[in-house]
Amino acid sequence: MDVRFYLSLAAVLFVTGVYGILTRRNAIGIMLSVELMANALNLNLVAFGRYGAGALGQVFAMFSIALTVTEVVVGLGIVVLLYRSRHDVMVNLASEMKR
Amino acid sequence: MNVPMLVDFQPLLPDLVLLVGALWLLILDLLMPHGRKRLMAGGAIVTLLAAAAATWLYDPIGTVWGGAYLGTGLAVFLKRLFYVGGAVAVLGARTHVNEAYARRQGEYYLTMLFSILGMSLLTGARDLILLVVAFELMSIPLYVLTAFPRDDKRATEGAVKLYLVGAASSATLLFGLSLLFGLAHDTSILAIATHVQAHPSPLALVGAAMVIGGLGFKIGIFPFHMWVPDAYEGGHTPFIVFLSALPKIAGFTVFIQLLLARNGALATMALAPLLVLSVTTLIAGNFLALRQSNVKRLLAFSGVSHVGFLMLALLTRSELGLGMLLFYGVGYVFTNMGAFLVVHAVKNGGGGDDSIASFDGLVRRNGWLAAAMLAFLLSLAGIPFMVGFWAKLFVFLAVWEAGFYGLVVFGASISVLALFYYLRVVRAMFMNPPANEAVIDVDPVTNTAIVLCLLAVVGIGLYPGPLYDAARVAAVGFIGN
Repeated sequence: MDVRFYLSLAAVLFVTGVYGILTRRNAIGIMLSVELMANALNLNLVAFGRYGAGALGQVFAMFSIALTVTEVVVGLGIVVLLYRSRHDVMVNLASEMKR
Repeated sequence: MNVPMLVDFQPLLPDLVLLVGALWLLILDLLMPHGRKRLMAGGAIVTLLAAAAATWLYDPIGTVWGGAYLGTGLAVFLKRLFYVGGAVAVLGARTHVNEAYARRQGEYYLTMLFSILGMSLLTGARDLILLVVAFELMSIPLYVLTAFPRDDKRATEGAVKLYLVGAASSATLLFGLSLLFGLAHDTSILAIATHVQAHPSPLALVGAAMVIGGLGFKIGIFPFHMWVPDAYEGGHTPFIVFLSALPKIAGFTVFIQLLLARNGALATMALAPLLVLSVTTLIAGNFLALRQSNVKRLLAFSGVSHVGFLMLALLTRSELGLGMLLFYGVGYVFTNMGAFLVVHAVKNGGGGDDSIASFDGLVRRNGWLAAAMLAFLLSLAGIPFMVGFWAKLFVFLAVWEAGFYGLVVFGASISVLALFYYLRVVRAMFMNPPANEAVIDVDPVTNTAIVLCLLAVVGIGLYPGPLYDAARVAAVGFIGN
């Protein structure tokens, strides 16, 4: 197996995440899709670390994981806020072009 | 092993001042009785001005963390812009924050300071890891601040959208960066640019395109701009004053760091997508602004078109272009903040719904606000002797110098079109009869912020020389290495 296998898997994961963002209506579902994208890039980093870049790839991945976690914490807080004001967490990201 | 000394961190001294100040305010906020919390705004402004003073007192030039942070003239210039702009944004928000979030206003300014700290670190980030950490340090507080009015349903919806779009764009940006990292086997931006220059590959182009797309969401480049007008319309205007100005320039800072390194290696590779995006952004921003009836949405689309102009300056990949990008950034920040502050003052003092109709006869209800708004709109439109005029002119000169003659003609004609929608607001203010004659009162603190923006817009408009020289000097030596 070489690095291309991991890159392809990461690309598939990433595209799955993008598909989820575009089709999901539930805010938690969209956050899960973003999480897929984040994991795809972490896989990229770790794979590049294994095939050539060394520990730097893993260090980068650790930073990236920590940042994603912080982002998710804030995001869940905002979603809880949305639930308290509307009693559902459905969003429509494509409803922008009004007026 | 070398123990790092404080003197090694001298290029980061302004950032350290900001960090220490923010941490002090965090403790102070816990100890302060609730009735005194409005003093926190003053603390935040003092912290920002102290950080700005630190850029003048010491020479924050040099490297930190083994080259991960590189203090340059560019970094100093942008730091000053972020600190001074941030101080004006705090001043403009103070009265509203004091009324709306009396008990937790300290957190508001703290969150803002941390966001500015992230921007400040971005100005010299020459390593992907530092770049990404600083970028998130800037972005995450912005999500918190959008959700700050927690009883306001529309603001919460806007915050959820901003968060989801922001998180997805961060992931896209990081994915692109991970590809570039994998190609060069290094996190140093210079090493990546050198590698890409020597071995251009489709994968590098994909990586660069994802970086541009991911950042495009954050700063509102055309196909990725959809969230911008909604977030501006739903959010509380005193925060939009901040959101519409400084994070965009911070996004461009990332562009500058990544795309312009090593004589613009990545920008040259991705020149075609950048060209297409800047032209479509200019067209879409201006045409969509034509049909808006809400001033905040109009300013949002006008902001999109200004991003297009900034991208034109980026395309030149020249020192002159970078300098003029910095000049344009300063003009954009103060003009835009001033315009949104007036929108806030009109709604706060006169009721209304941010529609253009709510500006009807403003000159008779508060002549000073109408005059200030006139100056800001003329500057946004690029009328002579406002800062916006020089900014556009200098960008066009740089673009001409770089050989994109068609772009100059196109940009100049599209800015004539932009006059139409700015003048619609002007006509409402000066020609239409007011809905009622009640005088609009502005509190002195917000007024001071408007005066400061106006001074910048008109002052630089009359004497563009010093800022022009400073921007030129700041850009020297950056592109080549």
